[in-house]
Amino acid sequence: MTKVVEISPTTRHEGHSKLTLKVNDQGIVERGDWLSITPVRGVEKLAIGKTMEQVPKIASRVCGICPVAHCLASIEAMEASIGCEIPKDAKLLRVILHAANRLHSIALHNILILPDFYIPGTETKINPFSKEEPFRSVATRIFRIREIAQTIAAIAGGEAIHPSNPRIGGMYQNVSPRAKQKIADLAKEGLVLVHEQMEFMLDVIRDMQNREYVTVGGQNIPIPKTLGYHNQGVMATSPMYGSSSLDENPTWDVTRWKETRPWEWYMGEVTIDLEDPNYPIGGTTKAGTRANPQMEACNSVPTYDGQPVEVGPRARLATFKNFNEKGTFAQHIARQMEYPDCLYTILKCLDDLDTSGKVIADHIPQGDGSMGWAANEAPRGTDIHLAKVKDGRVLWYEMLVPTTWNFPTCSRGLKGAPWQIAEMVVRAYDPCVSCATHMIVVDEKNRIVAQRIIQ
Amino acid sequence: MDKLYSEIVVAGCGNPLYADDGFGPAVVERLKGMELPKNVTVVDAGLGGPHFVFTLLNPESTKALIIVDIADFGGEPGELRWLTVDELPEGSYLDAHSWDLTEPLQCIKDDILIRVLVCQKKYVSAPEMDIGITDEVQRAIPGAVSEIIKEIRMNYGNA
Repeated sequence: MTKVVEISPTTRHEGHSKLTLKVNDQGIVERGDWLSITPVRGVEKLAIGKTMEQVPKIASRVCGICPVAHCLASIEAMEASIGCEIPKDAKLLRVILHAANRLHSIALHNILILPDFYIPGTETKINPFSKEEPFRSVATRIFRIREIAQTIAAIAGGEAIHPSNPRIGGMYQNVSPRAKQKIADLAKEGLVLVHEQMEFMLDVIRDMQNREYVTVGGQNIPIPKTLGYHNQGVMATSPMYGSSSLDENPTWDVTRWKETRPWEWYMGEVTIDLEDPNYPIGGTTKAGTRANPQMEACNSVPTYDGQPVEVGPRARLATFKNFNEKGTFAQHIARQMEYPDCLYTILKCLDDLDTSGKVIADHIPQGDGSMGWAANEAPRGTDIHLAKVKDGRVLWYEMLVPTTWNFPTCSRGLKGAPWQIAEMVVRAYDPCVSCATHMIVVDEKNRIVAQRIIQ
Repeated sequence: MDKLYSEIVVAGCGNPLYADDGFGPAVVERLKGMELPKNVTVVDAGLGGPHFVFTLLNPESTKALIIVDIADFGGEPGELRWLTVDELPEGSYLDAHSWDLTEPLQCIKDDILIRVLVCQKKYVSAPEMDIGITDEVQRAIPGAVSEIIKEIRMNYGNA
């Protein structure tokens, strides 16, 4: 008999989301709904009428995790709308900032997932906060990688958290030869560390993948070999940076995107009738509680070619590097494999960077209302911003952020998993839920038909 | 830039999209326009303070952290107050990832001097977005800047 269990809120990722799961007698998920319960932000509405310089600053404040990705995607959406090509050295500085941001994010995600994993060959779960060895060495290495990444981002971007250097038309300033050398020194130091960290993480992930069981809340839970598998497609625009409608050959097609109504996607009202007070942390939702994912979901459901798709490291590697593994563990593995790419990209950019080159376009058009888009391959996946700018003011703005794409896809990937490890499936997407909280729905003719604000 | 965070770190926390919640970043913007000693790092932490700053401070190089933020302590809007970490309400600076359910400031407070300068809010719009700090809180910005300079000078004698 099907029962309903709910994990709310889910933990060790950004923002507030929950899992409403229909499970069979063996506790295997037959239908899983993963949805945002973070209150909706109306950033797209707020952007209308603002100047094209203001909107990227607004977009970068949507959440506390992804300011760099939103800053770059937003600026480049404006540039795409107004038809502004930026100088080569400005683009190189943006790529350095972007790669440093991804590097930091991978290291941070390591901390978030490690408590789910074991030291290979032992029954000891990893505690990245312990001061004992071997945890301490791993934590120290992760700390240094994060520090290197943020320092590089601060040099190239002006500031590491809310970058002050990128602007419409390029960058405010180039870096000095000394700063360029500093970035190179940090990148070389980082390369050694990320190779060590990648190898460590791959060992840990493969060890878990080969296990029969994992302990959750004092119970041994079987790990299916197909954990997190789904039959949806993948979407990625570039192995590292992204694409825009200004490109000669754009790698994303706006006509293939459509948003559907979340209340047509998620399950309707259900009563929770399975409860586990021992589930970490604080137990599952109490039996007898009612849930209504259709009405509670604060995220929309975007589709590409009519289907939800997966975005993120696995999608990038599958699209551009023939990576053919699937599921939760493949997502983790793909993310680790992106570690060295970040630093090789930075070093390649430094080779090409002329510190005396100009970084601002000679002419910055003010826009005629044409639609432009820019996709930034953010740590969590494709972050697409779309804009129409006329006379320097934003007429229309939309953000299609990575976790929005992944909500419905991950929900499909929950089927077949024991409910107790459903959060492991979620965490493999490295969700950023705050960014993903939107409720703008367009119809089949791409007209906006609903823009609900749910408190 | 030799180190990400120097001996003294001033972190403005909050979100300018939520009215008075933009106080911390606004104070930081004002400080950035001033000439400060080389051992002071001023950072617009936005919503990312816990994971981008507090968990990335190295006690070997950073000795003091000054956090600037809004709060509701029952004062008059715009009133400033210094707090210690232990005076903060539980959960004030939980990491957005809820990564280990401990508060990052609790983890570093024994190694790094932490002072929190808070301003009594008048209006925070969250989850609705409303850009712009109220007049009362806006008027507190110069006072906050002055308090921070005094704090740096008092403890380190170099501002």
